[in-house]
Amino acid sequence: MDNIAGTKSSLTWAVNLSVIFLVVLWLIPTVGLLVSSFRDRDQISASGWWLSPFAVEQNFQAKIPAGEARQDGEFFVIEGNIFSGGEGEVIRFGGARSNPTVAAAGETAELTRDRSLTVQENGDFVYRSPAEISRDPSVYYSTATPPDFSLDNYQTILFSNNMDIAFINTLTVTIPATIIPILIAAFAAYALAWMDFAGRGLLIAMVVGLLVVPLQLALVPLLQFHNSIGIGQSFLGIWMAHTGFGLPLAIYLLRNYMVGLPRDIIESAKVDGATDFQVFTKIVLPLSFPALASFAIFQFLWTWNDLLVAKVFLPSNAESWVMTVKIADDLLGSRGGDWGILASAAFISIAVPLVVFFTMQRYLVRGLLAGSVK
Amino acid sequence: MKARYYAGAAALALFAGLAHADGHQPFAVGEGDFNWDSYNEFAEKYDLSGQTVEITGPWTGDEKAKVDKAFSYFTSATGATVNYSGSDSFEQDIVISARSGSAPNLAVFPQPGLAADMASQGLLTPLPEGTADWVRDNYAAGQSWVDLGTYADENGEDQMYGLFYRVDVKSLVWYSPEAFDEAGYDIPETMEELKELTDLIVEEGGTPWCIGLGSGAATGWPATDWVEEMMLRTQSPEDYDAWVANEMKFDDPKVIAAIEEFGAFARNDDYVDGGASAVANTDFRDSPAGLFAIPPDCYMHRQASFIPAFFPEGTVVGEDVDFFYFPAYAEKDLGKPVLGAGTLFAITNPSDAAMAFVEFLKTPIAHELWMAQGGFLTAHAGVNPETYLEDSLKAQGEILLNATTFRFDASDLMPGEIGAGAFWTGMVDYTTGASAEDVAKGIQERWDTIQ
Repeated sequence: MDNIAGTKSSLTWAVNLSVIFLVVLWLIPTVGLLVSSFRDRDQISASGWWLSPFAVEQNFQAKIPAGEARQDGEFFVIEGNIFSGGEGEVIRFGGARSNPTVAAAGETAELTRDRSLTVQENGDFVYRSPAEISRDPSVYYSTATPPDFSLDNYQTILFSNNMDIAFINTLTVTIPATIIPILIAAFAAYALAWMDFAGRGLLIAMVVGLLVVPLQLALVPLLQFHNSIGIGQSFLGIWMAHTGFGLPLAIYLLRNYMVGLPRDIIESAKVDGATDFQVFTKIVLPLSFPALASFAIFQFLWTWNDLLVAKVFLPSNAESWVMTVKIADDLLGSRGGDWGILASAAFISIAVPLVVFFTMQRYLVRGLLAGSVK
Repeated sequence: MKARYYAGAAALALFAGLAHADGHQPFAVGEGDFNWDSYNEFAEKYDLSGQTVEITGPWTGDEKAKVDKAFSYFTSATGATVNYSGSDSFEQDIVISARSGSAPNLAVFPQPGLAADMASQGLLTPLPEGTADWVRDNYAAGQSWVDLGTYADENGEDQMYGLFYRVDVKSLVWYSPEAFDEAGYDIPETMEELKELTDLIVEEGGTPWCIGLGSGAATGWPATDWVEEMMLRTQSPEDYDAWVANEMKFDDPKVIAAIEEFGAFARNDDYVDGGASAVANTDFRDSPAGLFAIPPDCYMHRQASFIPAFFPEGTVVGEDVDFFYFPAYAEKDLGKPVLGAGTLFAITNPSDAAMAFVEFLKTPIAHELWMAQGGFLTAHAGVNPETYLEDSLKAQGEILLNATTFRFDASDLMPGEIGAGAFWTGMVDYTTGASAEDVAKGIQERWDTIQ
């Protein structure tokens, strides 16, 4: 009688464990990115993010001034502390770059040319040489460096010149580029779903066909067209481009949803004398809210993250950069080597989409299901 | 002379107010070792107030800041505003904007190959007449710069399109003077000595080289530089030119020999940090870090003059790290060949101000203003080398000016599909185990299909 619905399976723990395992697996890259966003480029290339919470033993080099040598019997001696001002704890030390940890703190290391070096744990050293010391000798030592995280990357991004303008530009692009296609697509979807006219099937097929056309194909001709009608590279141009690129999916999604609404409601409204426009605004639109919201999320995320369309359809001066362009062309450095900036930029730029997503996500699921299950 | 000075000063006073707020000028006119005469002369000749020059190029971030500062002097001299915008994906952007008719006035090309492509489609405007003669007379190894800037137009006629501004020297080996000093290594003067040194380092338990080919979608390009260096050091410059033009096939034994010369370094587990298998996986930006590790992960790193941008923060060139000329074989008698690359200005949308800007680029001051900010080398022979920010740059400039042979990066000159495609991937295949013959044959086959 194990398989009766409602009884708890004895394998719940296995389900839970595998869910936890999968969640952790999925989160690893994101966590790595988050940790990296608090480290600078040198730290990122020195050690993996998973080692960052631990103190690491690292080797350092200190120059000791030859000018401070004094004669002590037949030896020339330099004394001092290798930590300039700060405190520290030497673990091991050495006098040659190729073997920087030859002796433990407190011991005396014999160096080349009969020189010797003693370094105490607190950094006090004695450097002895039988001959005069002409160049500044180097002392190499290992010490435990505590984990080091900083908000520098976030600061660089948030307080860089023109970031506020870039943020506003992104909103200027994103909000109209989300609303315009929804407006157009809702009307079109109603017509394709509930109005009878010749060639309707063909139109729907064309819209579905447009879904597979990659937008990259259209960039050059579309910009040429914009230039010829005088829009040029401008916000109006990018709204139109995003609208065009978003419409096929929008119409397809909304039509499939609307077609699934109960025929009875719409027919009884028509019997009562409602026009198509009234049916659309009073009945279909409110009922389609989940589908509208889910498309809005899609379109918002896509235009928010967009780099390519923004680079092509907006002027290339700093005043019209959106955030993605600002990050890619200004903050990442000439050859894109600043991983830390990249990581923190990712987290900053997903903040707004996250808010949008969480406020509207219940519609997303409903909207996606609604089109498919009948 | 005095009258000219006053006129210059008057022009300055007039237009000082027009200077952009963000392009604040780091060097006062008339002070320092700069060639201010050329600036004043230029300022006197042009009055372009109210006009704008739009420029796009590959320099972003810090480099953009330097460009803005250098170009702000054009604004103060002529009154025309300069809008420079850098793009991370310049190569794609310029093609899109030129094709769709919204091109900037001037574009800065990092690869002559791309400029030649666009010239042949009629998207570029030839430089003013006489530019070729001027470059021939005023640039070190002038004729080679003229050749590199001359392309066939849409009718197949050769025209001068590109004026070089900023050059990179590639034939440099970076090393840590301290590590060399402590280990007692001398700087090799010949390729034979370099190979001996490489073996000596291995014998003493070290790893001589750091090589990294990773570069995202462009993975493999550092290896093409190696092969080009080896071509120049084993074959005559004429053979090199024939190879670039594909008159000498890619699978010619001479080319295969050059690839194998590179393999002698990169495919030897003892020679490279992390072993031969790490070469293709290591990012070129991370690979020089081995020089600074304690103990050193490697002793030498061959890379172009731009690489200090990727050294750990606070590294001082000349103290913590230095470079020497990647030497040539003593026995081959090919002189001191130098491999380089550079960026060139071309006119994508002509205007009076754009033409004036080209004239500005011919003045020594236009070069000195960036030289003094660092990270800039020039082939302009009229500049004052004292304005280089660091001695190391001056030394690189001297390598450039003293080269017996200067050749441009072959992969930048080859058609994009080869130089920015098959050659890169072929080199990755080679370092991961494919044979040089197979790789060269594969590249030549690709080349045959596009001809």
